[in-house]
Amino acid sequence: MGLLTKLLFFPITGPVAGIRWSLGKVQRVVEEELVDDTPVKQELMELQMLLELGDIDDDEYARREAVLMQRLRDVREWRERLGMATAGGPVRVAREAGDDA
Amino acid sequence: MTEPQTARTEPPPIAQPAVDGKYVYCIIRLDKPKDFGSVGIGGGQRVYTVHYRDLAAIVSDTPLVIYDPTREHVLAHEFVNETVMREFTVIPMSFGTVFRSEDDVTELLRSTYQAFSDVLDKMQDKIEFGLKVLWEREKVIANLERENDEIRRLKDEISRNIASSTYFARMQLGRLVEAALEGVQSRYVADIHEALKPVAVASRSNKVIGDRMILNAAFLVERTQERAFDDKVKEVSRRYEDLLTFKYTGPWPPYNFVNIKLKLEKAN
Repeated sequence: MGLLTKLLFFPITGPVAGIRWSLGKVQRVVEEELVDDTPVKQELMELQMLLELGDIDDDEYARREAVLMQRLRDVREWRERLGMATAGGPVRVAREAGDDA
Repeated sequence: MTEPQTARTEPPPIAQPAVDGKYVYCIIRLDKPKDFGSVGIGGGQRVYTVHYRDLAAIVSDTPLVIYDPTREHVLAHEFVNETVMREFTVIPMSFGTVFRSEDDVTELLRSTYQAFSDVLDKMQDKIEFGLKVLWEREKVIANLERENDEIRRLKDEISRNIASSTYFARMQLGRLVEAALEGVQSRYVADIHEALKPVAVASRSNKVIGDRMILNAAFLVERTQERAFDDKVKEVSRRYEDLLTFKYTGPWPPYNFVNIKLKLEKAN
């Protein structure tokens, strides 16, 4: 069955297929630790250590840092998409129930 | 240094108020305004104070962005804290803490006033030092082979090929060396802590980074004891000159000894 047939005659399969796809995707994302930035932060600290020990120079540091920053942003994006808590961005004091304010 | 005006990471969209966000570096006790110069994050923003009673938050203006923990950003954050620390006892904020407005910062000071005051009292005239110790594994192992009879004997047998099973002997040797290394590591770590304990108020061990590190610790030290602490670190590092590398940093704000859980929520 071609795409056009689907679009014309079975509009309902669109969203259903879509949902199934995204559930599978969520599963995969969670499994692949794409939503956990702990390993990236660990690598960042190791990278910092290498620079401090003189094992790598500034250029090498900058190059590898850029890769890690992109991974951090990717993790953040996945977490946002999946409605998970993310660090960073503007904050304010949380208003509690029973607060006089 | 770039001009402050050109240094914004992202220009705020038109129709929104200009750069109203406040990046918060730390909290100090101060009841009159003070300017700390153009050293803020995002390319030399002006660093100044926001007040509530006798507390002040050290802030600079910022667009409402998420700051990646790049070396440049982290160094800017640390530089401001170091500058403020020269004159004041500080409670450092986590990297990347941005509030939407000055009012929101005041609200932070108001709602957390008691906790901030208590911690400022406790941290009065105390500073933090970081100590990372790395070892030269090969040298330590070589040392072990000289000192540990059983390891030496096994190694000797393997090299002369007289052990009944070289494979088994190698396994045994590996296990022996690992166990001995663990023993040596905890002895070194205990020894270093023992040497520094009399000159520190408190210490905290963090997770080691990479596979060469055997100690990653933070020490809280009275400002008046800074010299004494310094001398002790030098003394203990001389003791292990050939085997261990000491990475000694500070003074820092007491990052590892302030534990205020701020109740913050997203403000998007």
